[in-house]
Amino acid sequence: MDINSRPVVVKRMPERLNSRTAREFFRDVQAFLHADRPQLVLDLSQVVQLDAAGVEMLLRCMSEAHKRDGDVKLASLSDQSAVVLELTRTERLFEIYETSTDAARSFSGFLPNAMRQQLLHNKRPAAPVAA
Amino acid sequence: MDIRGLLLVNSGNTREEDLSFLASGPLGAVEVAGKTPLERMAERLQQFGILPAAAVVETAAFPARPGISTSGLNYVAAQPDRFWRAAENAFNEMVQNGAELVVLVRLGAYAEIDFEHLVQFHLDRGSRVSQVSHQGENLDIFCISASRRNDAASLFRSQLSRCRSECPLMEHAGYVNHLSSARDLRQFAIDILTHQTQTCPAGEAIKPGVWVERTAIVEKGARILAPAFVGALARVRTGAVITRCSSVEHHAQVDCGSVVENSSVLPYCYVGAGLDLAHSVAGMRQVANLRRDVTVEIPDPKLIDLISATSGKKFLTSAAELLTYLPRVAWGGFTGSKQPQPDLNAALRKTSPALGNTAGYEAPACDTEAAHKFPNMVVARRYGHQ
Repeated sequence: MDINSRPVVVKRMPERLNSRTAREFFRDVQAFLHADRPQLVLDLSQVVQLDAAGVEMLLRCMSEAHKRDGDVKLASLSDQSAVVLELTRTERLFEIYETSTDAARSFSGFLPNAMRQQLLHNKRPAAPVAA
Repeated sequence: MDIRGLLLVNSGNTREEDLSFLASGPLGAVEVAGKTPLERMAERLQQFGILPAAAVVETAAFPARPGISTSGLNYVAAQPDRFWRAAENAFNEMVQNGAELVVLVRLGAYAEIDFEHLVQFHLDRGSRVSQVSHQGENLDIFCISASRRNDAASLFRSQLSRCRSECPLMEHAGYVNHLSSARDLRQFAIDILTHQTQTCPAGEAIKPGVWVERTAIVEKGARILAPAFVGALARVRTGAVITRCSSVEHHAQVDCGSVVENSSVLPYCYVGAGLDLAHSVAGMRQVANLRRDVTVEIPDPKLIDLISATSGKKFLTSAAELLTYLPRVAWGGFTGSKQPQPDLNAALRKTSPALGNTAGYEAPACDTEAAHKFPNMVVARRYGHQ
């Protein structure tokens, strides 16, 4: 199985996530979510306004990803989004990371041991040739 | 001896980021556990025999609540640019009415001053103006000899920052809350509910540590865990939990299944269904989260909203409810459907209705493992001790 064929997609969320923008955003990420075992990181650093429709959209993304054995992780939460997620009791449903890089890296951390070994083996630089 | 009290409330010492909270008035005029710091200070003055008290308040909207005791205060509303002139006029009026000493308090800080001690201190030193200090910091609390109008005028014109003559300081060692931010407001509520202050919550103690105003509506199935306060005409709907020194002020509403923990819900604030308001001050469509030290605007009325204070709109809503009540009951009777009593545990576990029925996800309010172990337990908070 080729583990490198499953990319981690990082998407930056728009500044305002109301029902209209949430719908548009969901349409954008739908293609990624319909892939096999999608790995999606949503960067919320720019979000200054998040309402119930926005939170619903996040849950929908998560639902779609889980249906295909994938996952959605959140990164760089702005104050506004953090408060709203906490208020709506949804922050505990997501894995939340400080940065998008950490979130993307975390996907490989949950690979089965055999696959992780294979990944490490593939990435290991060639041993220096003895003099 | 004729001693009178003059109380001033303006937003001069409030942190900029909290000003948005104060659309309805400065923090000194915001209700905490049923009364404003202004009312509490007026009551304290009365306890020390300082009568009558006048209050100059920097907004035309205050006092807003008819039928609620305002401690015999004579209110003067002043525009921000005319505030200090109005204060000076109120002082002069007191002097003309025969006052010999005027105790001037600017809220600002709420301090439980021994006014008898302050007056004695002032008389013993024979000074024109005396001031109170706390831990080396000067508070805006003065005792002024009424005959010294020029000293008083100088004080008002410098916005209480400068005395014309020598101003001895009386050190105060008792309770002080600076009331300069949402955090201070929250701390003030905690101090009142835990009896750290001499002033008490308004309303009736229905059980130890739980104060509920007579006109508050606490629906069946709602839980109020001590210490907590529910203000006049506030509504706590079924399945809601109010706990850990939380205060729900007058006309506020906490909808079904919401948990208010260590938080203040300011007057006329609506907290939507199935939410978790913790370590926060909510009001004026905003939430000040004290753990994150951030104030955010919540534009979605399903989450946090401002309930209309105007009686006309409320009347129309109530009339519509009344008119549709009989048809609804008749329809229910015909179809044989009856309103199911919501199960508290289920209400606490389900995701906020504000979020819709997305994917059947559940965001439990309580720890599911504990809830399964103890099915009769009302709520097991993640970080709670109940």
